[in-house]
Amino acid sequence: MTAAARAGAEEDVRRRVPDVGSLMAALDRTNYLADAGLATALFLAVRLPQPILLEGEAGVGKTEAAKALAELLDTPLYRLQCYEGIDAGEALYEWNHQRQLLGIRLAEVRDTEVTETDLFAPQYLLRRPLLQALEHPGPRPAVLLLDEIDRADAEFEAFTFELLAESAVTIPELGTIRATHPPIVILTSNRTRDLHDALTRRCLYHWIDYPGPARIAEIVRRRVPASSGPLALQAAAVITRLRTLDLAKPPGISEAIDWVSALAVLGVARIDPGITEQTWGSIVKNRDDLELIGSRGAAWLVEGTDG
Amino acid sequence: MAKDHGPAQNNSATDRPPRVEAAALSAAFVTAIRRAGLATSPDRAARLAEALHLIPPAQLEQLYWTCRVVLVSAREQVPLFDAVFAAVFGANAGTALPDRVARAAVPVPPAPQPRTRPAAPGTREAGTAPGTDQHPRVASPGQDSSAQGRRADRDAVLAMVSADEHLHEASFAELSADEVGEVRRLAAALQLATPLRLSRRTRTSAHSTASLDVRATVRAARRSGTDAPLLLYARRREQRRKLVLLCDVSGSMEAYARVFVSLLQGAVTGAGAEAFVFSTRLTRLTRQLALRDPDQALARAAVSAPDWASGTRIAECLRRFVDEHGRRGLARGAVVVVFSDGWAYEDPDQVAAQMARLRRLAHRIIWVNPRKAAPQYQPLVGGMAAALPYCDAFVSGHSYRALVELTAAIRGDGAQPGQRHGRARGKEPAHAN
Repeated sequence: MTAAARAGAEEDVRRRVPDVGSLMAALDRTNYLADAGLATALFLAVRLPQPILLEGEAGVGKTEAAKALAELLDTPLYRLQCYEGIDAGEALYEWNHQRQLLGIRLAEVRDTEVTETDLFAPQYLLRRPLLQALEHPGPRPAVLLLDEIDRADAEFEAFTFELLAESAVTIPELGTIRATHPPIVILTSNRTRDLHDALTRRCLYHWIDYPGPARIAEIVRRRVPASSGPLALQAAAVITRLRTLDLAKPPGISEAIDWVSALAVLGVARIDPGITEQTWGSIVKNRDDLELIGSRGAAWLVEGTDG
Repeated sequence: MAKDHGPAQNNSATDRPPRVEAAALSAAFVTAIRRAGLATSPDRAARLAEALHLIPPAQLEQLYWTCRVVLVSAREQVPLFDAVFAAVFGANAGTALPDRVARAAVPVPPAPQPRTRPAAPGTREAGTAPGTDQHPRVASPGQDSSAQGRRADRDAVLAMVSADEHLHEASFAELSADEVGEVRRLAAALQLATPLRLSRRTRTSAHSTASLDVRATVRAARRSGTDAPLLLYARRREQRRKLVLLCDVSGSMEAYARVFVSLLQGAVTGAGAEAFVFSTRLTRLTRQLALRDPDQALARAAVSAPDWASGTRIAECLRRFVDEHGRRGLARGAVVVVFSDGWAYEDPDQVAAQMARLRRLAHRIIWVNPRKAAPQYQPLVGGMAAALPYCDAFVSGHSYRALVELTAAIRGDGAQPGQRHGRARGKEPAHAN
């Protein structure tokens, strides 16, 4: 992987994403607010092109970043949720054996002949996300999201990367399938284990920081159109203050969105201690945390957030 | 952020104007990063050059993000990266830099390790073990000869056979330097195996189980070409549970920690365990201990955990472990072993609260306390007494023989009846997630 060998992104992609600023603006149009760091990271992932590993606390928008990128490139997103024990059959492809058996039975009934090539034809192939991303016909590369790669086994990690580096897969019965548009790969990790050096070496890396209250408020406003006026800003201030407490599960952006949606449904225009206590369930999801916050009191959270 | 703040005027320590060719800038900066101790591979410089070509560094902030995205590969590296970046690209560019870098703008000497890396022979406090001028503190007596280290693997087997009873029974605190070296080799060679659990993966079996494996059956029939195929079934595979070792390396544990860390190292390389040490703060050492050469691994570990042999904050470290690692999946369904004497200047209630949280995640918690070996020992130390109700097994681990008992406890066959599945626990996690 030398500099000379890398072809760079396709012409069409280059036109859509000419520089970091325009990528940031385009992300903004998809209602995803990215800061300069994340925009740079995604820009390089698209334009180098190179897989990127995104890390950050739960709920800072790692998965959303991939969705937004797919949306602005107007290309499909293939998502592979990793879990322990995931294997090629679940990630890449598998033959649909039940359907093959059915095909044989049907042929017997109809008294027609089936050959092996009939049975191992593309229509009997179950395509899993990795293969779908490789087979994507274009005109632009698909976005492939490998979510929570740290949950998969280390062997699977190695297998996936081999495949992505080659941008091709060989299915014994069908032959080699080569990607015409190698996918843009985004990985996320929750750091439950150290990822292999071989993986981190091949990836760009970005840690998504938790945003400040103004940005949270802006995100909430975009996601919850009903949150008019000061509600979003107030909620963001409360969430930010909550995060200064030593919580086991600090509320994330998704909690902020859920909470403001809940408040909007309830017809609340202004947050006060009473309504906060009634709607704890949207933001605090751990009994220890509830006790801790209860000891500080809802009034402490809400005070000074007006305006 | 000042939009028109070209970095051209506020120049760098290396006297490189930003208009310099991308390749030269990349190579120089990657070298600076590597000198500071951040692991980078040579192809990163090439990649950075490409990236700089795509994103011309018109602003310092843009340059910062480009370099960081390409060169950093873990969050822990960010502070060091920031310091190097600030040092190289000029501290007086504060306004254009992201806050974090601006704050780190005072050039930080790379990787200062006050407690573990002796600055000069004369500056160390008196009374430390001799021969520590090359190796940090953990790799203390007995290990300093690298020839011994290289022999370690081979010797472990021999030592296992030949080591005399004295060595097996003696408390680690009473051993001479040479004997500690011997016991550490033995400890590193202990085989640690956790109990089995069902995995998500299946294997094919001819014996009837709940689920028929259609795919395997069809494949087998295709091979044999018969009409009446042998039915094959899928059976869930069994897998070892994860093993997490948390070792207290505070001052009161020092005599034992030197052996325990060898055990950790053996567990990481041999059993794929996760290893942490703690005293005033928690440090994940899996990576550092994963080297095959034990001396080198321990030396690296010592450099990474600068709070070696200071005070203890058990509750705080447990909380950090649960928050940052345990909850994310590392401790779920795992066997967690804590090596500590329970001495801490903390509220016992806090220890209890954190142990309760750990309890809800882990499959088994084993507490190893070397002080338990004393005949008159009672677990009265505040932290220990608070933690005990949450432990499945409480062992001493003060001698080699006691460590062998620990391996039994980890396997799960050493627990007293009724204690093993003691407290009402949540449903057993079938698979960690």
